[in-house]
Parts: sequence; structure tokens; C-alpha cells
Amino acid sequence: MSDKIASPKGIDPRGPRFAAGITALLLLIDLFLALTGLATAQASDGTWLITQASLAERVADPAFLLLLLTALLFLWGMLSPRTAPWGVLYRRVVQPRLKPPTELEDPRPPRFAQGVGLFVVGIGLVLHLAGVPLAIPIAAAAAFIAAFLNAVFGLCLGCQLYLLLQRVGLVGRQRELTA
Amino acid sequence: MGALVVLAVLLTATVLLGVLLQWRQNRPQRHISHEVVDLERLGADGLGEIATLLQFSTELCARCPGVHRTLAAVADAHPGVRHLNVDLTHRPDIAKHFHVLQTPTTLILDKDGAIQTRFGGAPSRDVLELELARLTGENADV
Repeated sequence: MSDKIASPKGIDPRGPRFAAGITALLLLIDLFLALTGLATAQASDGTWLITQASLAERVADPAFLLLLLTALLFLWGMLSPRTAPWGVLYRRVVQPRLKPPTELEDPRPPRFAQGVGLFVVGIGLVLHLAGVPLAIPIAAAAAFIAAFLNAVFGLCLGCQLYLLLQRVGLVGRQRELTA
Repeated sequence: MGALVVLAVLLTATVLLGVLLQWRQNRPQRHISHEVVDLERLGADGLGEIATLLQFSTELCARCPGVHRTLAAVADAHPGVRHLNVDLTHRPDIAKHFHVLQTPTTLILDKDGAIQTRFGGAPSRDVLELELARLTGENADV
């Protein structure tokens, strides 16, 4: 119980939303590549081409490479949000042209959201390497929805659902209750 | 061609989902159990004389600080209205008890501590003021 939420150091909330916008665009491009590439390609008899492709062919798929890049950016944003490329681009180029932020935000939620993004995209990448068809387009579409809602509406799905994730045991430890 | 159709469908569906979520968080839920909240369990010392704005937050909640400011401002503007914020990050028991699956969640309690209205998400100040006026107006009529 606290009357004030402790925030280590506030950040401009428009920064993560700007980054989410670029991420959403990358994911949309990736979805297009996946829909026209190996992840969704079928032979004339209906079998998925990816099941017969070699590991090297799966890796060389443009949709895989772009999603891998997105995953690395998620990882960067999670490990070191201050140096992540889109954040730096925002602070150097965009922020100086805007009015100062009216309110500052806790940096932890956007960082957590990067982790959720990495998790979703990571599953897609692993399944794709294992030869599962449609893994990349589904992962890219799911991550796109979250990134787009964050950029355009300011909604953070991963943050909102933190308690749900906690209850099913995906995040957080259930600590001993303090009276 | 087929790929572009899929992209267009996804984009449209996402925009509609965003509009729906935005709309829902400004919608007061009134048909809920009007249980009397045990404030001691939440670690609070008392209710507002007229109403209490009970906010549930977590550390990993982007919109909680903003809602905190809005609710604090509403409480400041109305004598007898109190704002309480409970951090659920390490209290899954409270989250479970109140079925809180998203933060912020805000409950409006009447003067007896009974839950009257629930908001999931970040309601606007106007919507909160309206709901508060409705509740206190009702109380005054009784």
C-alpha cells in the first residue's frame, strides 16, 4: 500500500510509443514477407515447402531474418532501454522538435513490454527453424497488434495483462505475503 | 494480392480492437457485486466521508501513474472524496479476491465502503466526475 508509486526516473512516454510505431511498421513488412515467402509457401499438392526446406533455407528466408532483427531490437530495448536505437533516434531527432513532455512515465512498463514482444517473436522464430509453417506470420501479426495498439492508442497489452500472466505463473514470483 | 488483403484485414481489425478497448475503459460497470471492502486488509486507514476512489496498480503498469494523477486531482477537487492506491505487484491474493486481471482498475466505493462502480483501464476525468456526481447525488436523495 502506497499513496505514491515509486518511479526511479521518469521518461518521456512518447519515446516508447514512437519506438512501438517503428516496430509495428517492421512487423507489418515482415508479415508481408512471410505471406509471400517460405513460411506460407505450399506446393501444388498442398504440402508446406518449409517442411522440406533445409535449415539454411529456413534461416535465409527474408521474413525470418527481418523478424530476427526485430527480436534483437526487443532484446536490446529490454537490456538497455537508454541505448536502444529507436529511443536514441527519438531523443536526438524527434523530441527536440516537440514540446516538453507534460508528464513523465515509469520506465519499467515499456521495458517489460519489450520482453513480452521478444517472447512472442522468439516463439515464432524457433518454430520456423523447426520447420513449422505459418509460425512467423502468426507471431509477427500478434506482435504487430500489440505494437500498433501501443503506438496509436497508448495501450500496453503486456502491462495490462501483467496480473493475468502472473496468475498463470508466466511472470513474477508469488512472494510471501507481508502483513 | 492475397498478402495485401491479409494486411488490410489485420490493420482494420487492430484499429477496431483499439477503439473497442478505448471505449470500454470509459464505460462504468455498475452491475457488479456491491461488496463492502475490507480496507484494513488493503493496508488503508479509512474511507472518504462521501466516496472513495480505490485504485489497483502494479509496478509494471504504464498508465497507472497517469490514472493516479487523475484520481488524486478528482479527490482534491471534491471534499470528502478520498483516493487510495493499492500496489498489487506483490499481492496476488488481493488481485484474485477482486478479480483484477488488468491494471489500472478503479473501484468507486460509497460512504459505507461498498463497491458501486468499477472501471477497467484509464477512464477520463469527465467520466469519473460524472459517475461520482451520480453516486453522491443518489446518496443525497436517500
